[in-house]
Amino acid sequence: MLMAFLIAVGVVCAINTALALLMVAAEAFIADYGACTITVNGERKLAVEGGQSLLSTLKAERIFIPSACGGRGSCGLCKCRVTGGAGNPLPTEEPWLSAEEKAQGVRLSCQVRVKGDLAIVIPAELFNVVQYTTRVTAIRDLTHDIRELRLRLLEPAAIRFAAGQFIQFEVPPYDLTDEPVYRAYSVASPPSVRGEIELEIRYVPEGICTTYVHRHLKVGDAVTINGPYGDFRLRDGEREIIFIAGGSGMAPIKSILYDMREKGIRRKATYFFGAKALRDLFLLDEMRAMEKALPAFRFVPALSAPEAADDWSGERGLITEVVGRRVPDASAMEAYLCGSPLMIDACIEVLKRKGLAEDRIFYDKFA
Amino acid sequence: MPESMNLFAVFFSAVFTGNILLTNYLGMCSFLGASREVKTALGLGTAVVFVMAATGALNWLIYCLVLVPLDLVYLRFIVFIVVIAAFVQVVEMIIERTSERLHAALGIFLPLITVNCAIMGASLFMVIRNYGLGEAFAYGTGSGLGWALAILAMAGIRQKMAKARVPRGLEGAGITLIIAGIMALAFVGFNGMLSAGP
Amino acid sequence: MSMKQTPALDAARRQMRPGAIVRDGFLGADRRPLVDILDADDAAVKRLGYTHAALAGRMRELRAAGARGLGEAVCVPPHFEVRVDSVRGKLPCPFGHPGLYPKTNITVKNLAQGGRAITYTDLGIHMIEEHGFYEGRGARFRADPAELARILEPPRA
Repeated sequence: MLMAFLIAVGVVCAINTALALLMVAAEAFIADYGACTITVNGERKLAVEGGQSLLSTLKAERIFIPSACGGRGSCGLCKCRVTGGAGNPLPTEEPWLSAEEKAQGVRLSCQVRVKGDLAIVIPAELFNVVQYTTRVTAIRDLTHDIRELRLRLLEPAAIRFAAGQFIQFEVPPYDLTDEPVYRAYSVASPPSVRGEIELEIRYVPEGICTTYVHRHLKVGDAVTINGPYGDFRLRDGEREIIFIAGGSGMAPIKSILYDMREKGIRRKATYFFGAKALRDLFLLDEMRAMEKALPAFRFVPALSAPEAADDWSGERGLITEVVGRRVPDASAMEAYLCGSPLMIDACIEVLKRKGLAEDRIFYDKFA
Repeated sequence: MPESMNLFAVFFSAVFTGNILLTNYLGMCSFLGASREVKTALGLGTAVVFVMAATGALNWLIYCLVLVPLDLVYLRFIVFIVVIAAFVQVVEMIIERTSERLHAALGIFLPLITVNCAIMGASLFMVIRNYGLGEAFAYGTGSGLGWALAILAMAGIRQKMAKARVPRGLEGAGITLIIAGIMALAFVGFNGMLSAGP
Repeated sequence: MSMKQTPALDAARRQMRPGAIVRDGFLGADRRPLVDILDADDAAVKRLGYTHAALAGRMRELRAAGARGLGEAVCVPPHFEVRVDSVRGKLPCPFGHPGLYPKTNITVKNLAQGGRAITYTDLGIHMIEEHGFYEGRGARFRADPAELARILEPPRA
């Protein structure tokens, strides 16, 4: 009886062990994609372990491709040209890719699995992107719906960026999201401050990140960011500058202005800032101080619908109307815009009418 | 009957007259779930053929060489299912490696082959019917092919049916089961071919 | 239009699930097959005496008028108040149409009807125009044809 029992158990164990060994062998021969080489921009070669998504493989190599959804294939931002080694786009990618992008080999890097040697092309600036752990040191309400956030960098403890660039803010899972998501915000502080950054975040009802920042985040909380990204920065030269912004579009322009002041850039510049009423204006004192420090700089706030109690004597009307009135000829200028896509489109129209060539109009392109 | 002829008969009947899906109604869940598109059906069908043929032979070897001599026939259920589960894992790895599109299209149905009762059924039938190794392999392959054939035919019909007006109450699983019934009648019709034979 | 649930519609329906393109999906609490949603709205539009193109055209017209406000509400004669708001980011069409649509919310208030309002999106205009899709019942941006006709007062064809 005992013998029969032992035999039965032994046989089941033996069969299971044999199958387990088979699985281990299969894992080693089939599922192991081995060492793969990712050639970046035809020059840098990365030796990586295959099997993971391109996005996370690159992340492990400390190359960060901007992505808002964290790799679920639902934001369409982590685009990257794969010039060799990957097949056709998967059904999950197709909605996000135009025919032109498909022809160029653009893929969503979170959907490409590294199964062999790959060749990819990414903007060289992404090599400088680093992930930082930070701690919130101050939260300040700039207006009724815009918050200023000050983050002290812990690890690494210093960042190098150009005025006008943005970072990605990691929102941990909470009420509104089950997985980490990432949102882009321009840095408002100047590049000379390397141990701390300032962000300006406007509350959007139901917005995953803005709700987190406005309703949950407290001083002392840990925040993970990565960056810097973007090519929104002051171009060299002596041209007269027009800045146009609305709402939290203030942030990158403020960084550029502080940078100009520190570097002694005395170019003629006018900053048109659009808001609805007085309660939507902020940093007025800082901007007035900037006018004193930079004699050729003018700050022109404009209200589209001032309330009676505002006692407003400044410019009135939509920012496009104000720019239209105040700028007679923009053909020799250079413009920097930050705000909602709608505002940017309308401003580009006005500036083109004023004779400004489109290639001298710069705006945040992380849409 | 020469043995090769016998093998052919086992194979043929597994594909048509004794189609495991349409005569035994085994493997119904994935049959209903993955038969919306011919492409997916073809992928899943191919995977089932491979798993059934391989596990049929493997389970026969284990049954006849290990379980019967040691008088452990009562362990066949647990042993068969473990073998099938291991095999499905291997098939999944192979598909993932060779065709990402197919892997994405099959999704959850691939691991679900493990609990596809048609595969377990094929292994049990071959034991009940006292098949030899050759027959077991022929039966496993045939059953797999038969299942693939049935799901392919169903996918083709459902793609056509997308353009037909189906009464509201019968939409989805209802009309699909009725079609499966009619297909079963058609497959039983192959019976005459085998018995009339040459 | 008498369409049937095709594999293409199945694919579109998958894209409409919560989390695929937008967090809350395009179908709300609607459990009907996509083809039935399309058929029902198509019939409703015909009953009202409009076409999808006519409704979409009117939506586009009011969007253009409201866009001048750069995010603030604009009065549009004779008695509309339109607010067009845009945020960063673009969305693809769940039907797999090529191209990406900016995230723009258009809110139209009909002041002659006591401020009755409806909110729709750029992607919504496209989906109505090209696919006759008004989103499912209970979806965040469901543009009910009867509501559209009532609030936007489009001219009859």
